[in-house]
Amino acid sequence: MTVRWDLLLIPSFLFTFILLSVSQTLFLEGSFYKDLGLGRTGDTLDLVNYVRVFTDGFYLTTLWITVKVSALATICTLVFSFPVAYVIARMRSSWGMILLSGIVVSTFITIVIKVFGIIIIFSADGWLNQFLMSTGITTEPYSIIGTQEGVVIGLMYFTLGFGVLTLYSVVQTIPTSLEEAAEIHGASRPRMFRRVILPLAMPGLVAGGLMVFNMCMGAFTSAALLGGGKVFTLPVLIQRTIMMEVKYSMAGTLAAVLLVAVILINVLSIILIRRMHFARGVLA
Amino acid sequence: MVRHGIARTLTVLSALTASIALSPMAMADGKFDGVTLRIATWGGSNKAAIEQSIVPKFEALGGKIEFVTGSPQANFAKLIAARGRAPFDVMEILDAQLPDFAQTDYLAKIDLSKVPNTKYLESWSYNEMGMASWLTQETICYNTEKYAELGLPAPTTYRDLVTPELKGRISIPDITSGGGLANFAAISIAAGGDLKNVKPGIDLIQDMNVLKFWSRGGETVTQFQTGDIYAAVVHAGWCVRAKNAGSPVQTVHPVIKDDIVGVQKYGRLGIMKSSKNYDAALWYVNEFVGIDNQFTLATQTGVFPTNKEVVAKLGSDPVLKQMLELDPAKLGKQLRIDYSQVNISDWVDQWTRAIVTN
Repeated sequence: MTVRWDLLLIPSFLFTFILLSVSQTLFLEGSFYKDLGLGRTGDTLDLVNYVRVFTDGFYLTTLWITVKVSALATICTLVFSFPVAYVIARMRSSWGMILLSGIVVSTFITIVIKVFGIIIIFSADGWLNQFLMSTGITTEPYSIIGTQEGVVIGLMYFTLGFGVLTLYSVVQTIPTSLEEAAEIHGASRPRMFRRVILPLAMPGLVAGGLMVFNMCMGAFTSAALLGGGKVFTLPVLIQRTIMMEVKYSMAGTLAAVLLVAVILINVLSIILIRRMHFARGVLA
Repeated sequence: MVRHGIARTLTVLSALTASIALSPMAMADGKFDGVTLRIATWGGSNKAAIEQSIVPKFEALGGKIEFVTGSPQANFAKLIAARGRAPFDVMEILDAQLPDFAQTDYLAKIDLSKVPNTKYLESWSYNEMGMASWLTQETICYNTEKYAELGLPAPTTYRDLVTPELKGRISIPDITSGGGLANFAAISIAAGGDLKNVKPGIDLIQDMNVLKFWSRGGETVTQFQTGDIYAAVVHAGWCVRAKNAGSPVQTVHPVIKDDIVGVQKYGRLGIMKSSKNYDAALWYVNEFVGIDNQFTLATQTGVFPTNKEVVAKLGSDPVLKQMLELDPAKLGKQLRIDYSQVNISDWVDQWTRAIVTN
């Protein structure tokens, strides 16, 4: 008798499917009805919410800001996390594992605590501002609250640990023998990085970058706490629309726009990268 | 001799046991056996005050109180999502939410005959749909030391916050926060607008160069401590808490218009229609507006009591005396917003488009 082990997958598949799809479907469906406030919707299918989102400069600007801060945070995360991941991956002593464990542990810390840590560091009486002013670099305290730069820093902080962990596994797949061969043939470290490490790490960098970008697009806490009620990303606007204004249909519409935007950006990025790869292959 | 002693001890113990058993509290013991009353309210010091003054009394009657913590806006969203089948029995409601509640059928009528503590309340502050549970005095809370350093006089109204020395040093409530609408209305009126025309208020806020639009009053306590802000538009209770946390702060009741000085907002307790613990909820509402809880709440959180007897007692607290307006004549002249005249959705829309720097 053949045991159908694959049948065991059905309950977990169904559970995951229901959990992920039902709640989202309710909101997506609601987005196609006119919002009447207080959780009430119209009776007939209507695109009025979508028309409003795509014809109102405020919503379009918010979408643009969301994409912009997420993209900047992604670039910063990759730039800062790659060297860390590379160094840890190439460490031969037990320090590598210790550092890696430290990064894993840091990802367990709730984002609220992390963001408040940033707020305290950048506070007017905080050590950073005191240092900047005492050395004459700045004449008055620099605050990140209520600025787009602050939101980018918050998002970067949120994804940095994840970035290091992802890129660590990417660097580990690059054989050190290739680096040694390049070195033997006289390649300098920058050249070796540009011609050997970066091309080999590129697929992982793109995949990791997209994951970080997707996390930033949906991030609420960093954007809400550091945006200070002055910088709105779509998740902040969705929370405000649903929790404070109790406009479910409009919130559903904004969530749908966010989802579609994320999917489109991911698909377009993959197409672009593939074309670049193909072009490079043809040229080579 | 020894036997006599034992007998006397037993007699005294029996008498003590009997007297305890017949005491009023014990007589009422068991009134709410097995009842779990769920209260939707804020966490923090507000919850702590209730835990101190009401929870032990309810537990002595056999019941248990659980808290569903969150802002009234968040709890209202839960109520809407549950289509009125509330995951709580009693809810704190903001005055600004009353028009929304009027459009729904979520509140049970309060049997006022079972709330004897209404005798301590002003007649405007309660009816069958809700019981005013606290008031807040919305103020300008400012750092007296920083003001002195900068050579600034104490502010008297919102326009005094428009000064280069305070650039990026001000925090005011976001319109969706608890005090947002009341203060936005007050700023608009003070700037020459009214409930139908809030544009002057928006212009004034834009002139202020605000660091942060706070969504939780506690944020201002931290910002005073870290030196990020020198002034905040916030209710006196948060200024009390900032002072207790070590910041050298003081409140000012802002001049609004003519002889209107100061702003009030109030909260109400409503019993949910879906509650299966109506009697216990009534008991809670009565206790909440009673002298004991109102005094504890005022002294621990800095909110203003709705209970008239407690108002008279607050003068004995040096910090509250300094921070709150206690003069009945002046209290009567403070601004209280009639939200039935307000298009809140329009206000939020105007605010969001004008204030957000996107």
